[in-house]
Amino acid sequence: MSVIAAIAGREFRSFFRLPVGWIVIALFLLLTGAVFATAILAPGQPATLRPFFAIAGWLLLPVVPAISMRLFSDEIRTGTIEPLLTSPIRDGSLVLGKFLGATLFLLAMFLPTLAYPITLWSLSDPAPDLGPILAGYFSLALLGMLNLAIGTLASACTSSQTLSFLVALFVMLGMLLIPSFPAHSLPIPAQRALEFVSLTPRMSDFARGVIDTRHIAWFVALTGWLLVLSTLALQSRRWR
Amino acid sequence: MVALDRVHKWYGRVHALRGVSFELHPGQVAGLLGPNGAGKSTTIRILTGMIPPDAGHASIRAHDTLNQSLDARAKLGYLPESAPLYPEMRVADYLAFRARIYALDRSRRRPAIDRAIERCWLRDVRNRRIGHLSKGYRQRVGLAAAILHDPEVLILDEPTNGLDPTQIAQMRTLVRELGSDRTMLISSHILPEIEQICSRILIVASGELKADGTPAELIAQHGGPSRLIVEARCTPEKAGLILGLPQQSPCLTELSEGWTRIESPCAPHEPDPRERVASAFASAGTPVRELRLTTATVEDVFLALAHGREGTP
Repeated sequence: MSVIAAIAGREFRSFFRLPVGWIVIALFLLLTGAVFATAILAPGQPATLRPFFAIAGWLLLPVVPAISMRLFSDEIRTGTIEPLLTSPIRDGSLVLGKFLGATLFLLAMFLPTLAYPITLWSLSDPAPDLGPILAGYFSLALLGMLNLAIGTLASACTSSQTLSFLVALFVMLGMLLIPSFPAHSLPIPAQRALEFVSLTPRMSDFARGVIDTRHIAWFVALTGWLLVLSTLALQSRRWR
Repeated sequence: MVALDRVHKWYGRVHALRGVSFELHPGQVAGLLGPNGAGKSTTIRILTGMIPPDAGHASIRAHDTLNQSLDARAKLGYLPESAPLYPEMRVADYLAFRARIYALDRSRRRPAIDRAIERCWLRDVRNRRIGHLSKGYRQRVGLAAAILHDPEVLILDEPTNGLDPTQIAQMRTLVRELGSDRTMLISSHILPEIEQICSRILIVASGELKADGTPAELIAQHGGPSRLIVEARCTPEKAGLILGLPQQSPCLTELSEGWTRIESPCAPHEPDPRERVASAFASAGTPVRELRLTTATVEDVFLALAHGREGTP
């Protein structure tokens, strides 16, 4: 456990020691700030962050792959993975440590956005409903972790950060675009499969303030499976 | 302590290691020599648990590097080639991170870091960013990280690669010090370095272990005979007569201005012939301008085994 914490801590701190971490935070705050200023902070609008959480998937699209691409690709390219793979730590601990470090950074990135609900509270009367805001942040964290797990897998598969970024970006984009896909022309099982991996209905529920345990289980299970696959991808490097 | 038993490794169709076996005993400092592509890195990657062997077994302190990989890796300190490090971290922070990776508990961590910093002469740079250090210092940081947990076995892959002569000398002293109380395997293609540091030399070429022994053993086994070289002012015929060689011996070469060069192989275990030869020429009143006995070096042995050249001095 201490080893996982050591890896997570190093990963988390490294984002703040490098320009990439600050650029990612600035980019995310710019995007969310623009959404808040134009779609939420408008006179006559209801005091809710629903539009913000409803497009959260799109807001994370450019920033999460920029976080995850470093996790393994950079270490494989520079060779720093070698001291780690020859240390007495399990590959799974390495993956989990790096994923947790990136997740902590993601959560730290969300912190400044708390200014938006605080602004709403101070400006609007009646005050905004707390439930959907808490559920929205919870869904943002779940979605961020799922996207990070996709990025972790992409990063464990290649030494190219560019490739890792693009693969994570396109998979995330694909999941967001599923509702626009003309699924009615597909056989029923394929339609069901598409519905199963679609993010939009789950995110909409969270944005309405509905915390459905089925949705939580879906996010956690998918994230877990992606981390298992990342561990296998890392292990497969030993056999190549 | 460190053992490889008939290890084979294939990369696709390339047979990179062909049944390599050796065993290092406690306290031994061995040099793994070989040209590029000989199988040095593959041998080291198998021993460190980075890759598994396709056949055979590798072990560190009787822990199989494949089936008991974590136990084997816990006994091992490893400095990869060109010491990959995180440039954004400070030296002390990096060593603290590695100490936690090796699961050193909190009470042992600080003394272990201080000891590694002292042993690797890093006190002046302990709070500097690794990215701002010279290559020599970075190599020492890598070495300090490898000895943090006081491993019984230390494996160094090309520890002086890319260093300037001063840094090489410092690194060599450091490695020699570290080798005084642990088993070490050092991979290199710099022969004098290995000769100076290692008590045992393993030569690999084309994926096979071509030679294994002390420098003296390698020279005796693979170095070919010593050669006596004499240059005297006389005809080849007279030189042959003085030394008791046949008149048409290929050992005799006529040089300009009345000099003759004699290059004669000496049988193994034959006593040093120089005094006898000097006396013979002095008795004959023949001036001599050169008289020496050449013996093979480890470099001659290495070239002979690695590249198939004739191993004569």
